[in-house]
Parts: sequence; C-alpha cells; structure tokens
Amino acid sequence: MRLREPANRVSPRAIAHWAIEYLLFWGLGFGLAWGVAAWLGGRPRDGVPRWITAHIGWLPVAVGVVGVLVVTVAPVWRYRVHRWEVSADVVYTRTGWFSREWLLVPVSRIQNVHTEQGWLERLLGLARLRVHTASHTGSSEVSGLRVRDATRLAEDLAHRAHDPSDDAT
Amino acid sequence: MTTPKDAPVPRPAAEPDDAPPKAPVRDAPVRRLHPLTFVVGAAREMAALIGAGATGLLVGGLSTAFYFALIGLAFGLAWHLGTWATFTYHVHEDRFQTRRALVARTVKSIPRERIRGVDISSTLGHRLLGLAIVHVDAGADGGEIVLNAVALREAERLRKVLLARAPVTEIPPPVAKRRRELAHIRRRWFLYAPLSGAYLLTPFALAGSLLGTLYNLGDDLGLITRDRVEHLGRDAAGLPTGVVVLVIMLFLVAMPVASVIAFTLFNWDFTVYQRDGSIVAERGLVTRRSVALERRRVRGVELADNPFERVAGVVRLGALVTGLGDAAHRGRLLPAAPRAVAVELASRVLGPVPGPLVPHPEAARGRRLVRATAPPLVAAALCAAAGNLWLAGVSSLAAVLAVPLGLDRYRQLGHADDGVRLTVRSGSLRRRQYVVEHDAIVGWRIRRTLFQRRAGLATLHAAVGAGEGGCAAVDVSEADAVALAWSITPDWITPFLAPPRPAKRFRRTPSHLPEPPPASTGTS
Repeated sequence: MRLREPANRVSPRAIAHWAIEYLLFWGLGFGLAWGVAAWLGGRPRDGVPRWITAHIGWLPVAVGVVGVLVVTVAPVWRYRVHRWEVSADVVYTRTGWFSREWLLVPVSRIQNVHTEQGWLERLLGLARLRVHTASHTGSSEVSGLRVRDATRLAEDLAHRAHDPSDDAT
Repeated sequence: MTTPKDAPVPRPAAEPDDAPPKAPVRDAPVRRLHPLTFVVGAAREMAALIGAGATGLLVGGLSTAFYFALIGLAFGLAWHLGTWATFTYHVHEDRFQTRRALVARTVKSIPRERIRGVDISSTLGHRLLGLAIVHVDAGADGGEIVLNAVALREAERLRKVLLARAPVTEIPPPVAKRRRELAHIRRRWFLYAPLSGAYLLTPFALAGSLLGTLYNLGDDLGLITRDRVEHLGRDAAGLPTGVVVLVIMLFLVAMPVASVIAFTLFNWDFTVYQRDGSIVAERGLVTRRSVALERRRVRGVELADNPFERVAGVVRLGALVTGLGDAAHRGRLLPAAPRAVAVELASRVLGPVPGPLVPHPEAARGRRLVRATAPPLVAAALCAAAGNLWLAGVSSLAAVLAVPLGLDRYRQLGHADDGVRLTVRSGSLRRRQYVVEHDAIVGWRIRRTLFQRRAGLATLHAAVGAGEGGCAAVDVSEADAVALAWSITPDWITPFLAPPRPAKRFRRTPSHLPEPPPASTGTS
C-alpha cells in the first residue's frame, strides 16, 4: 500500500526563491566561518587549544563546499518533491528534499488558514499557505505557491473548515 | 462519530426565569474572594516586614528604620485590603469573569465553553484557614484565571458549576457526591522514588536553596564580606580528603532518602477518582492539590518509564488532554506504580490498551544503531584528525556504550491498534508508550529521510491536539505506515492511494500488517 504523489506542482519561480534564500543563508555562514578562521587561524592564542587553531582554516572550506552543493542542488530537488492537492475532504501535501514529508490533514479538523509573503516572495509573486490544526504536528505549510492559487485556496479552505464543532479538541 | 456527549450544546439566547432550583449559575451574584484572602496573600510580606521591624527595634531601638517598617506594614495591609475589596468574580451564563479595579481596571473573562479544567490547590496556610486556590484553565491560548483564596466549599461549587458546561437543566440531578475511586497510591510505592531521576536531585535543590537563603540573609545583615568568602574558599580547599569523602558519602546516602521524602510530600494519598464526568487527581501532604480533567477531553494516555523503572516493573501514567497547559504536571494520573495497576487505571480512564505490540522491521535495528553510534564516532574521527587523541578515546568509548542503547531502542519500538485506539512505543532511556483514541487524530504526517527511503522505512506521526501534539510510530515499513493510517481513517487516505505496483525494485522488509480488506472497518 503506497501513497501516490499529490496532483499539483508549486510555481517554478519557487526554485529561484529557494536558491536565493539558500544563497543568502550559506553566504552569511561562509562569511562568519571565514571571519572566525581569520581571527583564530595561524598563531596560537590563549584559551584556545592548539589543535583548533591549527586546523581552523578548513572551516570556511567545508562551509563553502556544503553551501555550493546546497545552493545548486537543493532548490531543483525541492521543486521536484514539493506537491500539493486539495481533495473534497483532505489537504494532501508532500514537502522536503533530503527528508520528505507527506501530510494529510482533513478539512474538518482545520482550525485556521492563512497566507504569508516575505519580501522575497513578494518580489517573485509567490505566497505560502499555512494550515493550522489543534496539533503542531498536524499543521502544514506549502511554500512557493502562486499568489492567486494561495489566496483562492485559503479562502476556500477557511470557508469549508468553518464549522468548528468537530476539530477533535 | 459525534457522540451525543460531543455534540455542540445549543445555548438558548434567552433563558427562562423559571429554571429548576439547581441553577446557581444564572444570575449568580457578583462574588468576592474570601475575606481572609489578605491574611494568606500578605502573610509572606507581613512576616518579612515584621521581621525587619523587630530587627530594627532590637538593633537601633525606636529608630527611623522601625517607623519605616511600620509604615510599610500599614501600606501593605491597606493594599491587600484594597485589592480584596475591588476584586470580584462573576459566573455569567456564557463566561467566567474577574474584575480588578484597584488602580487600573482589568477585566478578564473566559468563555465557559473554553474552560478545560479547574484545579483546586491549597498551601499550608490556606488549609489552616479552610481556604483554597482555584485555577481556571482555558487551554493553551485561552489563558487562565487564578482565584487566590476562596472558601473550600465555594471552590468545590465553582468547579462543579464551571465544568458542567451544559445548561443546568441537562445535568442529571444526582450529581451531589457521587465519586467513584479509580486508583489509590500505596505506601510501598513511595520506595519507587529513587528509580526516577527527578526525585534523586532533590537534595541538591534543597541544599542549593538553603545555601542561597543563608547567603542572602547573611548579606542583608552585612555578615558577608569579601574577606570572609575568600577565607571560606581557602578553608574548603584545605579540607582533609577524609572529610570531603565523608560529605560525598553523606550526599549519596541522603539522595535516595531525600527522594523518598520529596516523593511522599508531593504524592501523599494520591487518589484518582471519577466525578460528574471529570477525572480528578488529588495529591500532596502539605500542599494538597486537586486537578480535575474533563473526561471527554482526555483523548489518550502516556505510559513512561526509564531502564531502572523497567527492571522494577514500575511505570508513570499521564493523561493526554486537549488544551491543557503544563500537561506534564497536571495531566499526571499515577506518579509511579506497578505496571499492572497503571494499565488497569489507563483502561478505566480511556479504555483497554491495545496489544500485543507489533515489532518494527529488522531494517529499523540498523537505523537505531547508526543513529546511536554515529555522533560519537564522528566526534572521535574529528578529534583524531585534529590530533587530540584523548578526546578521540573518550568519544570512541561513548560510541561503544551506545551500541546496547541502540539495540534496546530498537527492541522498544512497537505499535498496535484495536480499531478504537492506537498505541505506539519508542525510546529507551525514556521509554514512552502513547495510547490515543482514533477520534482524537487530526492528521497524518509520514516522514522519510534519505536513509529511511533507502531502507524502505517510514515514520508515521499521528497528529493529536493533546499532549505534545502527536505520537510517532518510528521506522515502520513504508507499506505498513500507509496501511496503518488507512486502517484508522480510510476516508482520508483512500483518494490518494497509488495503484498497486506489480513488483517493487527491492523490498528488504517484510510487511507485518496484512493488506486491509477493501471494506472500511475503522472509524473515520
């Protein structure tokens, strides 16, 4: 018994969004690592063990290699994984890249729905949809949707989840 | 699925006036806290101020300090009196409201249908005066209201009124004192206290707070100077080894003894009983505490133990209650009890615990082992590469010790389902078995890392709006994860099932669950 994949892909512009996000994050990480290495590296310092100062030069290299890999591979990988579908009763999503998560949340258990846009998402015309239930584990988030889709979905789900009598709390 | 009990209560817009006599709810007068409130509330400050005043009198006679203390005392009394006079609470038909109007006016109200629990507790002072503290809890985001001191009878009345959320006419009349005892602690169980880590640390906490109090007191009286502290430090460093060993030995002996004492203080006469649709747990020797959990909000239970408790056959039982703040303490149903007793209580509170547990696939063992040993091994490799052999050795030793841990973690994995309740178990140093009603499940999350996908495994999380938000069947086979979710909520899963594939590329793990029949048997 297996689950099929959800029907809809997210917007292709999500690739650009994730790439820029990863680039910013890992760029910052690389900068910090380089700064630490430059500050500690080479000469021995008081309070820092010798074996750390001797090898600290490898830190920015490691961070840089991992960063380049993540920035080039992860966005496309995520795009291939991220899918969503809303059936009559259930919101079904698949997210992640290295670790994947399949999430099934019935509309009747939804407590509230909202959409969010960060500055980058506004530039790219994307939005993320958040679906909350009484449990954090059962709350899902789909990022990289087109604004139009996200708004329509949010309205639709909020309307259908309106009856609060049966949210299992 | 919606039982009559669960059905939303229709609330008539206008209540008729000719309600039956058992209607203390409506038109309830605005009430104040007990007049003795300020005695309890102010006791601590009073004690401090009186102490300061007396010290001032002793040291300096009728000095300015003494008068200041006297003025402070008067102000304190007036303040507490004013607080008492301006604080009122009112049980409205649809909400519970408190109003505080001494300086700023604060009105706090909780819709009565949101009230999840009403706790009654009392400190020693309260009990001497026949008073109690009432906590009204409205779930994680609803906030809570605390009534600092009301008469014990009023507390019981409030609890009954606030927890009976249905209109009064619907309450069956003979609610007066029908309580059915579900479980009661035995004296012998107090000896289980040293098995759980938490109580073992009490001597340190006690010693710490005692030293802190002494230091503060000494500091206030000007007894502590830099010179003396340094002197003390030198003295301590210069103590003969024998004395140090003796002190350590004393502590080692004191730890289990003190843990039993602390356990007894907290859990004396621990009683769980059922009353008016609530499960009530009462405990405590000095501070008596009583927590009422609305029966229909108890959606599951949790059985927890550690390796020592497992050897002794002891387990802790907690309730998973929707929207209960501080659930770890307030949801406690048994602090430590023989396994059979805990399971018996669980079945009385919730229903029978499904069993026996289905073990998870062989592939999960490898994954538990890798996850236990990988962090110390990586640390060891990094340390060795950097040339610090000592740290590398320590890390390798940790990795060796992690092997039995990983094996035990695999042994503890399991799940079972009886058509009404789902149970899952995981963990070793802190093993936990959750039992959750199917109705309480609000969603499914299946998680697979790259390694899990390679091993054909998946972790199935059942999202529940109670306790820590859900429970997980760790490392079941992919097919079993979907089949388990399907057997519990077929309606949610069926639209998304993939058409059966003739042959998988490789399948290392046998499927434990039989392929469920096409007809739906579980509840949705």
